[in-house]
Amino acid sequence: MSASGTIEGAAHREPHAPEATIGRKPDYLHAESTLRSWFFTTDHKRIALLYLASITGFFVIGALAAGVVRLALVVPNGAIMTNDTYNKAFTIHGVVMVWFFLIPSIPATFGNFLIPLMIGAKDLAFPKLNLTSWYVFMTGALFTLVSVVLGGVDTGWTFYAPLSTAFSNTWVLPALIGVTIVGFSSILTGLNFVVTIHTMRAPGMTWFKLPIFVWTHYATSLIFLLATPVITTALILLIAERAFHVGVFDPAYGGDPVLFQHLFWFYSHPAVYIMVLPGMGVISEIVPAFARKKLFGYRFVAYASIGLASVTFFVWGHHMFINGQSDLASLVFSALSFAVAVPSAVKVYNWTATIHKGSLRLDTPMLYAMGYIGLFVLGGLTGLYLATLAINQHIHATYFVVAHFHYIMVGGTVLAFLGGLHFWWPKFTGRMYSEPWGRVSAILIFLGFNVTFFPQFILGYLGMPRRYATYPPEFQLLNVLSSAGATILAAGYIFPMLYLVYSLWFGRKAPANPWDAKGLEWETSSPPPTLNFVSPPEVPRIPYDYPIQATESKDQHR
Amino acid sequence: MRTPLSTLTPADRAQLKQRMRKPVLTFLALLALLAVNVTLGATLPFAHVWAIELGVVALMAATILLVSMEVIEEPPLIRLFSGLGFFWVCIMVGMTLTDYLGR
Amino acid sequence: MSEGLAKGVGVARAHHFESVAQQREATTLGIWAWLITELLLFSALFLVALILRIQHPEATVAAARHLKFWIGAANTVVLICSSLTMSMAIEFSRMGWQRAMVRAMLATAALGTLFLVLKGYEYYADWDEHMMPFLSSRPFALEETPAARLFVNLYYVATMLHAVHLFTGITLLLGMTWMAAKAGFLSRHQNWIEIYGLYWHFIDLVWILAFPILYVVNRGT
Repeated sequence: MSASGTIEGAAHREPHAPEATIGRKPDYLHAESTLRSWFFTTDHKRIALLYLASITGFFVIGALAAGVVRLALVVPNGAIMTNDTYNKAFTIHGVVMVWFFLIPSIPATFGNFLIPLMIGAKDLAFPKLNLTSWYVFMTGALFTLVSVVLGGVDTGWTFYAPLSTAFSNTWVLPALIGVTIVGFSSILTGLNFVVTIHTMRAPGMTWFKLPIFVWTHYATSLIFLLATPVITTALILLIAERAFHVGVFDPAYGGDPVLFQHLFWFYSHPAVYIMVLPGMGVISEIVPAFARKKLFGYRFVAYASIGLASVTFFVWGHHMFINGQSDLASLVFSALSFAVAVPSAVKVYNWTATIHKGSLRLDTPMLYAMGYIGLFVLGGLTGLYLATLAINQHIHATYFVVAHFHYIMVGGTVLAFLGGLHFWWPKFTGRMYSEPWGRVSAILIFLGFNVTFFPQFILGYLGMPRRYATYPPEFQLLNVLSSAGATILAAGYIFPMLYLVYSLWFGRKAPANPWDAKGLEWETSSPPPTLNFVSPPEVPRIPYDYPIQATESKDQHR
Repeated sequence: MRTPLSTLTPADRAQLKQRMRKPVLTFLALLALLAVNVTLGATLPFAHVWAIELGVVALMAATILLVSMEVIEEPPLIRLFSGLGFFWVCIMVGMTLTDYLGR
Repeated sequence: MSEGLAKGVGVARAHHFESVAQQREATTLGIWAWLITELLLFSALFLVALILRIQHPEATVAAARHLKFWIGAANTVVLICSSLTMSMAIEFSRMGWQRAMVRAMLATAALGTLFLVLKGYEYYADWDEHMMPFLSSRPFALEETPAARLFVNLYYVATMLHAVHLFTGITLLLGMTWMAAKAGFLSRHQNWIEIYGLYWHFIDLVWILAFPILYVVNRGT
């Protein structure tokens, strides 16, 4: 809402005209400009940008490591690099991408920036804690980077015992310490979100008026709180095991390595939903905005978010079917894993129903969102193969698994991240990016991604195991195809980094609401003032109040 | 200057007594329950005494949560959060035991 | 809880909250969310203890019977006493009796320190009895049952983790006591005492769970 106090409906506003700035206080980006004002800020919007800059750096590191892996696999005999280098490359890729990019990616950046705006609050409940969480994150990152600089780690991102405790001769300890520390930053972020969403909503902003983005972040935050401490304990035991030979995970002393896997996956399976749920929130914002249509089945999507966050705690054993757990456990975990498909499908059906008979605009964010839906469906359905006990015996720890989770993590989370980045870029920076370049790179990423990872489904089904530096020569064609796809994907990633940065200085000034979208974050200026709203925002009658509203059940927005 | 006790007015004494009643009673209850557990642990009177010991521990934990930490007086949201963690511990233990009790 | 506060006792509103009630609600919910994570952190260790008991019953009983049962029991009494003094500090803060509150807080910190001293003595006694299997240079008293080292080492991880929490708690408590002794503290930050009290009680609660799980239930067969 502009400082002049004029209240215009969205329909009357010319969407592409920047608002008058005379007499308005400087926005959060220009309020102060010293380094100190950035590194000691308690403004959730600035902290979000600190996170955005850091995770972009980690994304580049992780992507480079992936490039090394794909390079090594161009030839079947492992001639390009030593096996040790290969092991370290895929470990760095996994550790950095999972813990330093995917987990904080959407929550710590978009969540941090948008949750207070979306609920009409001035800031998160604990601004200093928010800043602390970024410093904790960077401290953990420092430890992990030190382990990489000293010579790397070769255990894979899962740190399975006893490889990580008794056999690996690499820098496992600093990496473990780094990952342990980073967990605390997740916990602090999740705690802040839970408290903020419960207590800081503007008057009239009831739970069923919240955007789905806020719902999914609430669900994610609960997982942060309930799952992260368990992996902290598992990693503490692993550190003690490696440093002092505690023995609880070491079969040499009668310990049980499977116990580590239980504790590890009690966190790391829900962590999949830490990575996926926020992306679902992003898609739930983009799809209605570009279909000009109210989100179909709002309540079901909201409940499905909480449903996913709960069900995900009952299925971790499906990572361990052939690792020696009891048949009873495998049976129970397998059966429950199928339940995950229900809330996931609820979401996908509701997005497609929103698109159906909408008035579509295929701008960059929507291209990413459409890509997301397709790839998430493929990734999700292959998950059902893996949850099936008998098929799992065949494809466990093969490239089928690698392809499956990359369809979820990259096809899902990274596409949602990029879609959200383009969607809210005008709000974050006050600038418009180049739309043609945006579309070109969205399409490049979609194509490059599929060329990279679809062959891996076939490779895995034919029996190529993951994490091996060599493979039989008959797999070379598909591996070369996969590596070629990775170069397309890389080009698709490089373009946004260039044109988005370019837009910071040379982009067109963004209006408050360039997409004519609904939601309180579009009611304030772009970029927003330091305390988010000049005057208290008016909470809309219903969420997603777009022109096209399919008639659903009457009481959907009681 | 509120201490020592001799300088307190009768009104202050009454307030002190009323305010300290609950913490002191809680304290005594916790000590009594601990005494039961220590006795059982030291004497091991019969097999499977651990079941009773765990029951006593549950009582102690409930006392601290409900009375010392005043969960009983809190709004429903806080009550929900105080129970949420325990519920999740049950999920963790229960699902892990499907493995260890099924081997 | 905000009811039952004496005159002049309260909380100063931070700029990003709309009201003091909102601020109180947020901080209370915040500490409870944090305590959930603490509970799961320790429960994972308790789960490991349970699995050890299931997989190695004899060795676990042998190991548990070697722990210093009476020091553990005495330490439980110490922490229950500190819970009492912490509850008293909270009540004094609500009554506005600042000096009594500061003394109760100091007593709490002293009891916490006593716990750590007793714990240190216990570790020394363990060392003396060759009950430190993680020290490769020192023979282990229960060498004939190798799996006993798992439970004993787990005992160290769990008690050290608890001791770290207690040490952090004492440090925070002393820092807060220093601030709480200044004039006007109770009119601005009374809820700090309540929030901190919840943390302290919970660290006690963790020990109340850890003592039987490590020392008591595994003594019997």
